[in-house]
This record gives sequence, structure tokens and C-alpha cells, in this order.
Amino acid sequence: MLLLQVIVGGLLLGAIYALFSSGLTLIWGMMNFINFAHGEFVMLGMYVSLLVVMWLGGGPAAFGFAAAFSLFVLGVFVYLSLIRYVLRGPMLSQILSTFGLALLLRYTAFWIFSANFVSLPQTSLSGTLNVGGVLMPVPQLVAGVIAILLTIGLHLMLTRTKVGSQLLAVSEDRGAAMLMGIRPDRMQALAWGLSAGAAGIAGALMAIAYPWSPSVGETFGLTAFVVVALGGFGSVPGALLAGLIIGLIQALSAFWFGPIYKDIIVYALFVALLWLRPQGLMGKA
Amino acid sequence: MKIPAVTPTTLLAAGLLIYPLIFSGPFYLDIGVTFLLAAISASAWNIVGGYTGQVSVGHAMFFGLGAYAPLLCYTLFQWAPIAGIPFGIVFSIVLAVLIGIPTFRLTGHYFSMATIAVAELIRIYFGTWDLVGAAIGLQGPATARGWWDLTFRSELPYYYIFLAVLAVLLRLTFLIERRRFGYYLRAIKAGERAARSLGVPVQQIKIKALILSAVFTSLAGSLYSVKTGFIDPESGFGILVSVQMVIIAALGGAGKLYGPLVGALILIPLQTATNTWFGGGGTGLTFILYGGIIVLIARYEPGGLFELWERIAPRGWRRKNAS
Amino acid sequence: MLLEAHKVSKAFGSFFAVREADLSVDEGEIVGLIGPNGAGKSTFFNCLAGDTVPTEGKIVFAGHDMTDASPEAHARAGIGRTFQVPATFEDMTVLENVMVGAYLRHPHHNDARDLARQTIELTGLRTQTDLPARSLGTPGRKRLEIARVLATAPRLMLLDESLAGLTPTELKEAIGLVRKIHEKGVTIVIVEHVMEVIMTLARRVLAFNQGHVIASGKPEEVVRDEAVIDAYLGRGRHTHRRRST
Repeated sequence: MLLLQVIVGGLLLGAIYALFSSGLTLIWGMMNFINFAHGEFVMLGMYVSLLVVMWLGGGPAAFGFAAAFSLFVLGVFVYLSLIRYVLRGPMLSQILSTFGLALLLRYTAFWIFSANFVSLPQTSLSGTLNVGGVLMPVPQLVAGVIAILLTIGLHLMLTRTKVGSQLLAVSEDRGAAMLMGIRPDRMQALAWGLSAGAAGIAGALMAIAYPWSPSVGETFGLTAFVVVALGGFGSVPGALLAGLIIGLIQALSAFWFGPIYKDIIVYALFVALLWLRPQGLMGKA
Repeated sequence: MKIPAVTPTTLLAAGLLIYPLIFSGPFYLDIGVTFLLAAISASAWNIVGGYTGQVSVGHAMFFGLGAYAPLLCYTLFQWAPIAGIPFGIVFSIVLAVLIGIPTFRLTGHYFSMATIAVAELIRIYFGTWDLVGAAIGLQGPATARGWWDLTFRSELPYYYIFLAVLAVLLRLTFLIERRRFGYYLRAIKAGERAARSLGVPVQQIKIKALILSAVFTSLAGSLYSVKTGFIDPESGFGILVSVQMVIIAALGGAGKLYGPLVGALILIPLQTATNTWFGGGGTGLTFILYGGIIVLIARYEPGGLFELWERIAPRGWRRKNAS
Repeated sequence: MLLEAHKVSKAFGSFFAVREADLSVDEGEIVGLIGPNGAGKSTFFNCLAGDTVPTEGKIVFAGHDMTDASPEAHARAGIGRTFQVPATFEDMTVLENVMVGAYLRHPHHNDARDLARQTIELTGLRTQTDLPARSLGTPGRKRLEIARVLATAPRLMLLDESLAGLTPTELKEAIGLVRKIHEKGVTIVIVEHVMEVIMTLARRVLAFNQGHVIASGKPEEVVRDEAVIDAYLGRGRHTHRRRST
């Protein structure tokens, strides 16, 4: 029974991983760019939630929206002021740009909020459900389920709506998209907004259920890489599947080997992936 | 004895040689030693990151291995720490090959991500591994058992040892620049696909560059731990170590021989100053500053100060001093 | 038979960019590849150069099977290529660019540099020797690419629209350059849109459309071939194809 609980817990956390990793994979698929600060976007979403609760006394809906919106704006801003310039430049500046951004955001957060772990005060979501002998904390459950829904929603948006197909058109063939009257610059800015927004709301969901500190950004960033690498760069369904798998593996490792291995296993998995199957589960060689 | 011509290189060399004689107090000596160490690490990074364009943001993994090896040999076998240096180098070479082979086939981002992942992996693991002192780390000999322990009271001997290593590294880089290997490195950075079409064995060259870089980074780490007499996961494998190498090289000029030197010349005094002013909270603010500088470099001047100089300085002056 | 491509096909998923293309080139020939955009000639070209591995078929060069060989192996074997969009090393000077090519056969700095200088002289780039490649215009870059690949001493040169977008004077010079290279004994396969180039340089032409070779023979004949005219003018070309790379 305990094992089943661990499994469910892992999957629920994995669902949140899937959500924010979808944002990362979207950017990769669209412009062949890795955002090294993506984990920090998630982290910021968590702190925005904290601030909304502390200052405005808002509930989950309020801070969820606030996190999504503020990070969306940040994503667009980062694209317009930084990313679109380095996209045309050498690899060095591409990598340094978001790497430097990650440092900036992470240590500013350390400076403002200190390195202590924090968590949200009790929200309306509390308690534990008992489903057939498996104990599931309500916050984790709600966060995980919403994360899955949002990830599916993102995928549907990309594949079924007009805007979504425009985004995909730009990632497929920039030139052709331009000829069809789509403005790549605008689409890319939108993609950055969506990506950051997904990270932000994933942060809010995470905040409902788990404690955090500014250091989590680095771990989430790497987790997102692993999920995206495993699921195939550019694939949101891949990210969903991979996120769940990673969450599961992490939970089982912590359970069997000890909590220290929670992070190590993710990094080790990444290295193994690079060696054995860089194209991921769903990618082509 | 033939008197060498007065060029920027010889002036630089002379300056570095006599610096400790002029600024002989322990404070200035310490800055000098820190500067040299930073210049060595950043110049080592420069080979694979600057010239070849393969951006490692986890180079601390080599530094850390190089730093742990001497003290581990001392702790386990009571050897003189310097005897452990070759081990650090060998481990670093193996690690370089293990990382390079799978990632260099893929686009540059994979390599960069892998370097972060591996550096963190090692850092966390060492923090739990009792053999290497876990979170506490390792120490070197408290008092010298002989000259070979290299435990000096003053930092002066370290200064000249480090200076010698820096000179060797820069000379080696200079020679590489003028030979096929150097041209191939730059070709890879400038355009891998075109390089391939001209017969450049891209995969091989990248790995060689990484190995060379790893060797000297490992050596820098060894020098650090021998001098300090102490190492722990954070000071060996921490992200500050990796970031510092990158920012120093990028600020001064990635892919330029003296780029890292220029970067270190600016950043080390700057870092010392902010540490003094901000005291304990210094490290946090240092990172914020570093992050900001890196973003600015990426956005406005990826070629670093060297490139800025090349664009601004009057042509005549530059050509006269081209080495 | 210096180069022989036999039933080469390249598929991306279910889309066939190239379908069972055959090509044989004798030493000393100049062969042209023509066809509308998206016809598959560039993909076929990339197969010949080793940039892409064909899904089916065989490519043999001077008796060696090059079907799976890497681009580097192609260069070493003596196949050189230029790129449709010039891929010069922007931050390096003209001399340094050509030296990268020269280093293939001459590992020593001085030898490589001397050969590079000679090649630069031959290709008319002497006045720009020490200028960075990025300061050259597109015609200059195309010429630099040719110089660079020439320095690798190829037996076969694959020119990918290296003469496109030139003024009439530049075009004449470029054609003259290609002739000079050919006279030195280099076999040439050239992809071109510019008809003048094909008519004056190529002894034999292959026409592509929708991945197939639809005509082959002397330039005058191929250009008048009905299928070729159809392909260019659009009859029977209604299916919307993705641009083959």
C-alpha cells in the first residue's frame, strides 16, 4: 500500500513537471533554443503565489491566475528585450543569455526572500483523501490533476486552434509562415509568454502542495531538460508522458534509496539518456 | 643576452613578474594569487568554450576532481599532495571523454546541459560520500613534512608557481592558434557544417579540445587545493566555480588569447572589492552582478572587451601592436 | 566512371524528396542539375556530398562506396562542395578561410598558407586576403567558398548554385573561374538555375522534378524536352510540396 502511495505521489508531482516542461519543449521545438532560466520561471511563479496570499489574501484561483499572468508578461518581455537579439548570434551568446538570466533571477530571489524554505499557509485545499487504502493529500491531488488538464489543454490549443497552428507553422517553416502572413516575431513572443506562463502556473500548483526556496529553480530547470529530452524535443504529449515517468522514478528512488537520491537520479537519468537515446522516447534518430 | 623587444606581451610578463616585489603585502599577494588562478581556469575553459564554441557551464567538474585528488591522496595514503595531481588529471580526461562522445554528436545545447547536470551530480554525490569527506571535505597537511608538501607560510612561492603554469598554458594556446588544430577549432565555432565539408574531423577535434581544457582546469583545481589546504564539494564543484570561469573568459574575450587575462584583471579586483564592502552577503550580490554582466555580454558584446577594443581603437595603433 | 549514383532515394517520413535518381559522371566532365524549386536536386546533391544519407540506393566514388560516408570522409576522398547559402567562416579572414581547406592535405602551417595564397591568387581574391569574410558581399563569399574548397584538392567539385545572383560581369568572371578549375582536371557537378551557366559550361544535364530525373542529355536537348518545360511552367505540378533542403 505504501508503495502504491509513493507511486501516486510520484505521478502527481510528475504531472506538474509535465506542465512546466511543456513550456520548455515548445520553445525548443519552435526556435531550437534552450531556456536555461526556465526553472527560475517556475520558482518565480511560486513566489508570486506567496506574495498574493500574503499581501492580498488571495486564494488558489487568485494566485494561480496571478502567477500565470505575471510570468506570461515576463516571458514576452524577456523575448523582446533579449532573446530575439541573441537568436541571430553565436551559440555562446545564446547559451550565456538565459544562463545569466537564471543567475540573475535566482540570486535576486535569494537576496529578497533568503534561502529559507517556505510554504503557503493553509489554503482551502487541505486534508487527505483515502481512496481504497491509498492516502492522497488533497493539495497534491488537486495540483497534479489540474496540471494534467492544463498540459492537455496546451496541446489542444497548439493543435486545434488557429493561433496554435500559426505557432506550429512558424516552428515548421519560418519562411513559408511569413509568406502566409504570419509574423514570426509576434508568434515567437507569444510562445515565450505561453512557455513562461505555463511555468508560472506550474509554480503556483507546486506551491499549493510543496515547500520551496529559491534553490528549486535550478533543480526544476534540469528536471525540465530531462523531461524534454526524454519526451522528445518539441513534443508536448511527449513531455506529458516523460514528466509522469520522471516523477515516478524520482519517487521510487527516494523511497528505495533515500531522499538524497531524488535529485541525483534525475541528473543521472539525463546523462544516461544522452548516451543511450538522445532523441528521447518519441523522437527520431 | 639579447634584450627582448618591448611588446604588450613582454610588458605583461614583466609586470606579472615584478608585481609581488612591488605589492608585497599579504593582501595584495592574495589578490595576485587569486588572479592567477582565475586566469588559468578561465584560459583553460577558453580552449573549448571560447575557441571551439562549445559552452561548458559545468567546468567545475574538472576543477573539483583536480582539487580533490591531491588531498585525497594525502588523506588516504599520506602522500605529498602534489603526487595526487596526475590522478586528478586522469580522472578529468576520462570524464571529458565520457561527456564529449555522446554530446558532441548533437547540437551545442546538449553539451551545455550535460555539463551542468554532471557537475551537479558530482557535487551532490561527493557531499554524501564519506571517502571524500562528504559535506565536510578534505584537508591537506597542517604543517610541512618536507618541501614537497608545498605548505608555505607566505603566498609568494605559490604566486610564481601559478605564474609559471599560466605562462605554459598561454604559450600552448598561442602555438595552437597558429597551427592546424587552432584553425580547426575556430572553423568548428564558425560553422560546423562547412567545416565538415572541408574534411575537418569535427567530433575528434571537439573531444581533443575538451580534454586539453579539462587537463588544465584540473591542474588549476589541484593548485587551488594544494595552496588552500582544504576542499569541499561547494568550493570544488560549486556553480560559482563554473560561472566564474565562463564570465571571466567571456567578459575579456572568449576565443582570444588574452581575453581571460583581461577578464580576470577586471573581475578579480571587482570581486574582492564587493566582498569587502558587502561582507557576508557578498556572495549573493556577487552572483546577481555576475548574472547581470553575463546577460549584458550576451546581448551586446559576445566577443567581450577584446572585441569592443578592436572596434573602437584606432586602426594604426592596433596594427602597430599586433603580436 | 568517377562518380556513380544508383537508384538513390531520400524519404522524409512518407515524403520522397528524391526518388530513384541515377547519375554517372566520368572524370573530366561538367554535369549540370536543373529543375524547379523543390524538385529534389538539392537533396540529391546533399546525398552526393554526404550531408544526408540516402534512404535507398548506392553512391560510389572512384570505386569506394560513399553511400553512408560522413561529409569529412567525402572531403578526404576528394569530393568538395559549396553551399547554396554561402557558409563562409565569417569571423576569419579570407586567407584563414582558405587555409582551413588547405590544411586537409597540408598539415603544416607554412605549406597550408602557401597553398592558400596560391588558391586565393587563382580565384582572384588577392586584394581581400586579410579581410574578414563577413566584409565580403555575397558574390565575394561565393568566390571564397570556391577557393576554400579548391584548396582541399578535390577530384570532384559539387557546386550548389554558386553562380546565382551575380551581375553579368561577375557571371562571366565566375564562369571563367569554373572553366579554369575544370581545366586543372577537376570534375564538376553543378546545380544551377541560371540557364546561361548550364548552356555554356555543362556538357550534360540532368533535369529533376518531384524527386525524379525526368530528362538527361545534352543541354540543348534537355532544355527543349517537353517534360522539362512542363515542370518549369507548372503543368502537372499541382501538389503542394514542402521545400526540400
